[in-house]
Amino acid sequence: MTEDSQRNFRSVYYEKVGFRGVEEKKSLEILLKDDRLGILPPHHESHAKVMMYRKEQYSDVLHALKVIRFVSDATPQVEVYLRMYQLESGKLPRNSSFPLEPEDEAFLAIAKAMEEMVEDSVDCYWIIRCFVNQLNTKYRDSLPQLPKAFEQYLNLEDSRLLTHLKMCSAVSKLPYDLWFKRCFAGCLPESSLQRVWDKVVSGSCKILVFVAVEILLTFKIKVMALNNTEKITKFLENVSVL
Amino acid sequence: MAQQANVGELLSMLDSPMLNVRDDVTAVFKENLNSDRGPMLVNTLVDYYLETNSQPVLHILTTLQEPHDKHLLDRINEYVGKATTRLSILSLLGHVIRLQPSWKHKLSQAPLLPSLLKCLKMDTNVVVLTTGVLVLITMLPMIPQSGKQHLLDFFDIFGRLSSWCLKKPGTGLLIYLLGPVSIMFSRFICVVTCISTSFLFIPMMEHVRIHPELVTGSKDHELDPRRWKRLETHDVVIECAKISLDPTEASYEDGYSVSHQISARFPHRSAEVTASPYVDTQNSYGSATSTPYSTSRLTLLNTPGQLPQTLSSPSTRLITEPPQVWCQLATLWSPSMVCGMTTPPTSPGNVPPDLSHPYSKVFGTTGGKGTPLGTPATSPPPAPLCHSDDYVHISLPQAAATPPRKEERMDSARPCLHRQHHLLNDRGLEEPPGSKGSVTLSDLPGFLGDLASEEDSIEKDKEEAAISRELSEITTAEAEPVVPRGGFDSPFYRDSLSGSQRKTHSAASSAQGTSVNPEPLHSSLDKLGPDTPKQAFTPIDLPCGGADESPAGDRECQTSVETSILTPSPCKIPPQRRGGFGSGQPPPYDHLFEVALPKTAHHFIIRKTEELLKKAKGNTEEDGVPSTSPMEVLDRLIQQGADAHSKELNKLPLPSKSVDWTHFGGSPPSDEIRTLRDQLLLLHNQLLYERFKRQQHALRNRRLLRKVIKAAALEEHNAAMKDQLKLQEKDIQMWKVSLQKEQARYSQLQEQRDTMVTKLHSQIRQLQHDREEFYNQSQELQTKLEDCRNMITELRLELKKANNKVCHTELLLSQVSQKLSNSESVQQQMEFLNRQLLVLGEVNELYLEQLQNKHSDTTKEVEMMKAAYRKELEKNRSQVLQQTQRLDTSQKRILELESHLAKKDHLLLEQKKYLEDVKLQARGQLQAAESRYEAQKRITQVFELEILDLYGRLEKDGLLKKLEEEKAEAAEAAEERLDCCNDGCSDSMVGHNEEASGRNGETKTPRPSSTRGSSGSRGAGGSSSSSELSTPEKPPNQRAGPFSSRWETTVGESSASIPTTVGSLPSSKSFLGMKARELFRNKSESQCDEDGMVISSLSESIKPELGKDLGVEAKTSLNLDGPHPSPPNPDSVGQLHIMDYNETHHEYS
Repeated sequence: MTEDSQRNFRSVYYEKVGFRGVEEKKSLEILLKDDRLGILPPHHESHAKVMMYRKEQYSDVLHALKVIRFVSDATPQVEVYLRMYQLESGKLPRNSSFPLEPEDEAFLAIAKAMEEMVEDSVDCYWIIRCFVNQLNTKYRDSLPQLPKAFEQYLNLEDSRLLTHLKMCSAVSKLPYDLWFKRCFAGCLPESSLQRVWDKVVSGSCKILVFVAVEILLTFKIKVMALNNTEKITKFLENVSVL
Repeated sequence: MAQQANVGELLSMLDSPMLNVRDDVTAVFKENLNSDRGPMLVNTLVDYYLETNSQPVLHILTTLQEPHDKHLLDRINEYVGKATTRLSILSLLGHVIRLQPSWKHKLSQAPLLPSLLKCLKMDTNVVVLTTGVLVLITMLPMIPQSGKQHLLDFFDIFGRLSSWCLKKPGTGLLIYLLGPVSIMFSRFICVVTCISTSFLFIPMMEHVRIHPELVTGSKDHELDPRRWKRLETHDVVIECAKISLDPTEASYEDGYSVSHQISARFPHRSAEVTASPYVDTQNSYGSATSTPYSTSRLTLLNTPGQLPQTLSSPSTRLITEPPQVWCQLATLWSPSMVCGMTTPPTSPGNVPPDLSHPYSKVFGTTGGKGTPLGTPATSPPPAPLCHSDDYVHISLPQAAATPPRKEERMDSARPCLHRQHHLLNDRGLEEPPGSKGSVTLSDLPGFLGDLASEEDSIEKDKEEAAISRELSEITTAEAEPVVPRGGFDSPFYRDSLSGSQRKTHSAASSAQGTSVNPEPLHSSLDKLGPDTPKQAFTPIDLPCGGADESPAGDRECQTSVETSILTPSPCKIPPQRRGGFGSGQPPPYDHLFEVALPKTAHHFIIRKTEELLKKAKGNTEEDGVPSTSPMEVLDRLIQQGADAHSKELNKLPLPSKSVDWTHFGGSPPSDEIRTLRDQLLLLHNQLLYERFKRQQHALRNRRLLRKVIKAAALEEHNAAMKDQLKLQEKDIQMWKVSLQKEQARYSQLQEQRDTMVTKLHSQIRQLQHDREEFYNQSQELQTKLEDCRNMITELRLELKKANNKVCHTELLLSQVSQKLSNSESVQQQMEFLNRQLLVLGEVNELYLEQLQNKHSDTTKEVEMMKAAYRKELEKNRSQVLQQTQRLDTSQKRILELESHLAKKDHLLLEQKKYLEDVKLQARGQLQAAESRYEAQKRITQVFELEILDLYGRLEKDGLLKKLEEEKAEAAEAAEERLDCCNDGCSDSMVGHNEEASGRNGETKTPRPSSTRGSSGSRGAGGSSSSSELSTPEKPPNQRAGPFSSRWETTVGESSASIPTTVGSLPSSKSFLGMKARELFRNKSESQCDEDGMVISSLSESIKPELGKDLGVEAKTSLNLDGPHPSPPNPDSVGQLHIMDYNETHHEYS
């Protein structure tokens, strides 16, 4: 504690970077100790073993699904992922023909986007699974707050746009699901999505709000030109096409 | 009507002889005129005047006041129109105008003026014309400006009259007209110079000066009303007179420069008006004689280049001018030259005198020429500009008629001048005695009176008397004065002056005696006398052709010429001219001018008689007879008078030339009377005009007099100032004297001071010299002082050096002395020591002796004692050494132990970290495994569901049921195998825990339940417990079924292999131990027993954790090695391993 008076002059810089302490080793350790999605432990030595577990688990589940004939080779990979996830979370429907829940849709969207990013199916499954898990657990409380935050930030950035949206009564009907539940899967190109999801994975779900606000600001003129709720929504849902 | 009658009465009363009545009536008229504004009274008065020529009425009329002027003028205008009353009304107008009424300025506006002009243009009556012209001339100066509008009329009239005069030269009365016309001309020239010159008055030009306006002015300027606004009538008259060359008109008062000089030079002549018959009449001889001279002189001066023309008289024409004269004259100039005149007209005023004195000096000198005597060429050059008494010179030739003088004169002019001077003086001397020859002004009246009495002409008698009276009045008034009263204009002024001058001259010359002059009675007039000049100049060529004539003949000729000229008869002139100057071309107006002064006749008669008297005297003198008797003179006078009269009569254009009617009392014929009346009237008119002029002059004279008085006052003032100045000068003189004194004193003082100063200076010098000497001395001394100082410093330095040396030496000395003392003390010591040595030696010797004496028993004991002590000492020393060594070692040990402790702490920390690491690693793996387990569970559940589903179907389908069951069993077996693995793992772990706790004998394991369970399972070996373990979550009813027994069997079967699994544990244990051992071995190589104790306690503290971990480890290892059969005799191995562990543990502890 006596060091406090003669603190390292670099401490300010360290604090900026995110290090609380002066000893970078410790701080780095702390930082690195934080596992991201929890797929692999921070210890490198156990990676191989854990990875083997993961693979086995994946194959087991897949096998099980195949055994019960829930999936076949013809089943699209994304759906396979979904079924696996359902199975693991105990939500596997009795029949595959049962209609999908909205969260399943979101999963599918995310999986589809992720599938393009990751080649290996095991990794892909695990990443999808953990990502969705994180959304459903870690951000369960904050995700519903996001639309409000979005309004707030939009008001700060461009109140006119917000008023325009409000006038069109489009505020409540904006594609919040697409933005906050699917995390822009299918809405943004892959490279952008990677960066956004990196942030999301790192623990910030507010990035979603900013991205949404930025999308609106980018297409402000076009949005302002539209005065129909449906049109606006439709336009915003198809941003990636543009 | 009553009024009218009253007026008539009053008018008649006006002429009453009673003065009182006349005055009263006049007063009444004036009152009436004041009260009445109507024209009637004035008209009546005018009418009455015309009828009666009443003087009182005239008086009243002439003093009419403002409102009546118009009536009067109207009335006059009315009468001017009528030919019958024209003359009288014109005379009335003349009277009125001459009095200069206050309304005179209205004249120009009145209708009278145009009608008057008209009348002058139309009328042919000479008397009327003359009167009218005179009126006009009188009027012109009064209306100089407003008269401009009638300028052309004036010129017309002028032209008409002059040409008329030319056309009818024979008319006797016309000569009266000439005077006014010439005056008129001068007026024009003055007032409207440019216009009149442009109006072709050129012939008359030589009678006027060139007016400056001719050069500077313009026609417009002449018509400028401002020009005359400030001038009064007499100013205008004088202005006109200034430019006139006519002696009767000319004025030299502040005239132009040339005339001024002349007037200054000939003050008595300049203003001469000889041409005027009236004046001439009253003039003395002097004046008369000088007149022609001056006039000609003036002409000469003013018109130098024009001499021939100027001397328009025929006489001058004939004369050949000597070049020298011309040279002199060439410097002068004349207006006629400017005008480019070739034909020189003569002024009317000029000519007669010229003619009357053709041999006058001027002409004599300048060209002499005119005179038959022929004085001119030889006569001295005029040199008029330089000598004030030029006239004297000029008069000389006649006076100095002697041959030698003549020669001299021919040689050079200079001597002549001097001589002339003398001669003049001589002449002057002669003058006073000459009773008749030179008549002084004072004598004049009487003389005139005589003349008058002698005059037989009745008509002229009256006039003469009047004139003489008037003249006498003036002359008496001017007899006393040295300062003339009259203006410069006045002819009398000059006369009086000349008279006085003459007196002085005579006084001066009386001293010289008269012997030189052959003609003692020579007056100025005498010069003109034909006798002397004739004699004197006979040898010289006579232009008139009478050169060869005898003097007598000459004289006769001369006289005849003179008389002929002097007589105003025009008839006589032509022949004379013809005879004298055949080549002369008479200018158009010449004859007119000659006769322009008609009434001079009687006056010339008088002069003539005088001349004759003088001649007679001269003759008598020449003849040696000193004087003639008065009776003779009288006789001659009478004779002359008769001659003159007869000539005069001849002149007159009388129808009948009876000789007897005048002098001898015959009644004259009516024609003659009428003519004479006319003449008289004309003369009267002219006289009136002249009087008017004189009044104007008088007016002016008064002003000038005032100026003169002022000047006198100023002079007096000046004199007073001069007196004061003198006084002041005296003062100044006094002051100067005192100044001189003071200066002298001052100089004295200065000298004294100077001497003092010099003394002091010398003193100072001496003192300075002394001072310098002293200064030098002091400097020398100073240098010496300086030298001394230097020396002193040097010496001081030396002193210092010496001192230093001394000090040094002292120091050395002291050192030396110290050394000395030291050495001394050393010596002393040495001595002392020597002494001591000696003493000690002695003592030694003494002791030696004593020692020798007591040597034997004490040495052994002492030696023994010594040895004992030595040993003791060594013992103690070794002990001390031992102690210190022990201390050191113990300290070292302490340090060692401390470092060991620190190492241990560090090791512990590292261990902890490592444990943490491992824990984390294990946790990660565990989590993965758990997730896998979860997944398995899910899978199982799914499977179970599937199975249950299938069962449900099987129960429906009997046959298929069995098949399905078999399949399910196979799946079950696969699943059971897995479950079995799990159970075994957990069991082995529990067993190990039990063993560990049992072996340690210390604290129980933290999981009693599991221990109990395991013990329970061991003890009971029931399937329930195992099923509980394997599927805790699943409800028991699901397990309850036909398969439960089978499940138990498999568990039972598998339980046999448990010990092997357990037995394999030591291997994992050994791994841990190995690890620990490795750690310990690495970190601390030399480990004491104490260390091991510490570590064992430490390992005990972490045992529970380890146990847990070990369990996990075991499980994982089990899981990994699950499918493989465990090695044989696991128990012994496990025992051994455990023992080993314990042993090692023991070892450590």
